[in-house]
Amino acid sequence: MSVTNSNAAQSLDEVKRSQRRSAVAYGYQKASPHLILWGFIWVVGYSTTYFRPQANAAVWLLLVLLGITAGFWIGRRTAAEGSRTHDWRLAASILATFLFFVALFTIMPPRSGLQVGAIIPIFFSLCYAIGGIWKGGARFVLLGLAVGALTVAGYFWVTPYFLLWMAAIGGGALITGGLWLRRV
Amino acid sequence: MEQPNTAIHQPIRLKIMAALKALPTSELLEFTRLKTIIGATDGNLGAHLATLEESGYVEVQKDFVRKKPRTRVRLTRAGRRAFDDYVAYLREIVEQAG
Repeated sequence: MSVTNSNAAQSLDEVKRSQRRSAVAYGYQKASPHLILWGFIWVVGYSTTYFRPQANAAVWLLLVLLGITAGFWIGRRTAAEGSRTHDWRLAASILATFLFFVALFTIMPPRSGLQVGAIIPIFFSLCYAIGGIWKGGARFVLLGLAVGALTVAGYFWVTPYFLLWMAAIGGGALITGGLWLRRV
Repeated sequence: MEQPNTAIHQPIRLKIMAALKALPTSELLEFTRLKTIIGATDGNLGAHLATLEESGYVEVQKDFVRKKPRTRVRLTRAGRRAFDDYVAYLREIVEQAG
């Protein structure tokens, strides 16, 4: 059995394509439960902030801590046998994000709670879009664009109901996006 | 390598190996996802996986999740090595011609 040059080149292309498809599908599979989790957190957080604004800080603190804890749990549950690399990456990402927002809000203090409620989702939308561009995950790019655009639209066009908008549309988009990523 | 590895040489099996190699070591891939990635039918994929399993290149794990059967696959250490060797063999052919 001999392999010609063109057969070898064709096989190498096929190897590349399959690896790329597999890596993208793997990324979707890993991200899916996290998106669904944070979608529910947005639903609860934004709607509570709308109906009980006085409990805003406490509710978000509790929800973010809950989300981080659940994120670690999901990471461990879905990690490959013997792999714990997910843990430090998640911890480092949380720390980097926290430091970014501390710096951002110190340099440019927000004038209203709505600004905080809009800028954080826009930041995460940007992360999805950039991650998708670099990793070749078109669904991440679309999700980032959708959540970012919906956040901006809600902030400017439905300002009085922005928090409800983010609970229903923003949280809903994350949950739907998470479910969509599972369908690979 | 003088001759191609016949277990991997077949196009569907090469795609299976490539798809599994793209995952972190010891990560399992569900049969249904692998089927979508490869673009193969159930029967076709099952038959090729059986060949790769016989060669010791993949490990097939079957269990139940919420009473539904689940089949997951991953590359063995020998499978990773064999795939790397096969890709090196293909590259060598392309480089020699170029």
